[in-house]
Amino acid sequence: MKPSRRQVIGMGGSFVTALALPNLFARAGAITEITMGGRSDGSHVWFDPVGLMVQPGQTIRWINRDRGNSHTATAYHPANFGKPNRIPAAAEPWDSDYLLPGESFSVTLTQPGVYDYFCIPHERAGMVGRIVVAGPQANDRRSRGTDAGLPEAARLAFPAVEDIVANGMVERK
Amino acid sequence: MKKVIFPAVAMLFGGLVAAPAQDAGTVAEAPPAAPYQKVSDLVSLPDFVPGLGQLFVDPSTLPAGPFLAYDHDGQLVSTVYMIPVQDLNPDKSFDDLEAPGGTVDHVDVYYNAGHPGVEVPHAHIILWHVSADDEARVAE
Repeated sequence: MKPSRRQVIGMGGSFVTALALPNLFARAGAITEITMGGRSDGSHVWFDPVGLMVQPGQTIRWINRDRGNSHTATAYHPANFGKPNRIPAAAEPWDSDYLLPGESFSVTLTQPGVYDYFCIPHERAGMVGRIVVAGPQANDRRSRGTDAGLPEAARLAFPAVEDIVANGMVERK
Repeated sequence: MKKVIFPAVAMLFGGLVAAPAQDAGTVAEAPPAAPYQKVSDLVSLPDFVPGLGQLFVDPSTLPAGPFLAYDHDGQLVSTVYMIPVQDLNPDKSFDDLEAPGGTVDHVDVYYNAGHPGVEVPHAHIILWHVSADDEARVAE
């Protein structure tokens, strides 16, 4: 079994049995998985689902299922390589560091709003993702940050907040 | 996966394949002598990359390489160059890259989205020293 890393972002959050699928109505404390994947030749890489809506206090786990590559789940925040802030003001940034195949990393998000994150070696290939934590600020454009400084491929890859809220998640195309 | 015949690659990349090669015998088996180092010791990548094999590189040659790729028995199967897409422009060239692996059977060229060590979209140019059928030696 590969090691797993876990981080709680914000205040608290509990760790309970994993759920098989993300769910718009998933309860706080549940774990939802986001896959890090890629083609065998490395020509295409992705987070799946690329957009996800969760409840405050819900845990998200990224797991690298790409057998030939390493990935990270890294919040857009000035603390991470000077990136623009694209998470709620009251939230703490995270950086999984490199995950080898089979490794995973978890965070628990408690602050409502929009969280954008990226994969360090694949940002310029458009490997980014978006999480919406339900609450009054979930659809607030001010929490989505600026596009300045983002590679075009990354900027174009974010799913619309409206689609995430409407469907609970957006799978990769 | 698109395949490009060897003469075409030679024309595209100029001196890349015409560079003076080291003795192929010195790199035929893993590990190759210094300054080559195992890629998985330099960056966070699997020790054996499916489709490529176990990779070694002289860090001073990054990002282009050559990377030397070995199968599970430590036999050289390919020489790999990694050329950033952004560097394929009128103002940059890659000349006289070393080609220490010896006889080339065929060549693959394909896009790669990036990985630790070469964290930008780039082209993999793979000079296979084994037959297309023997690529299976590094498939898994």
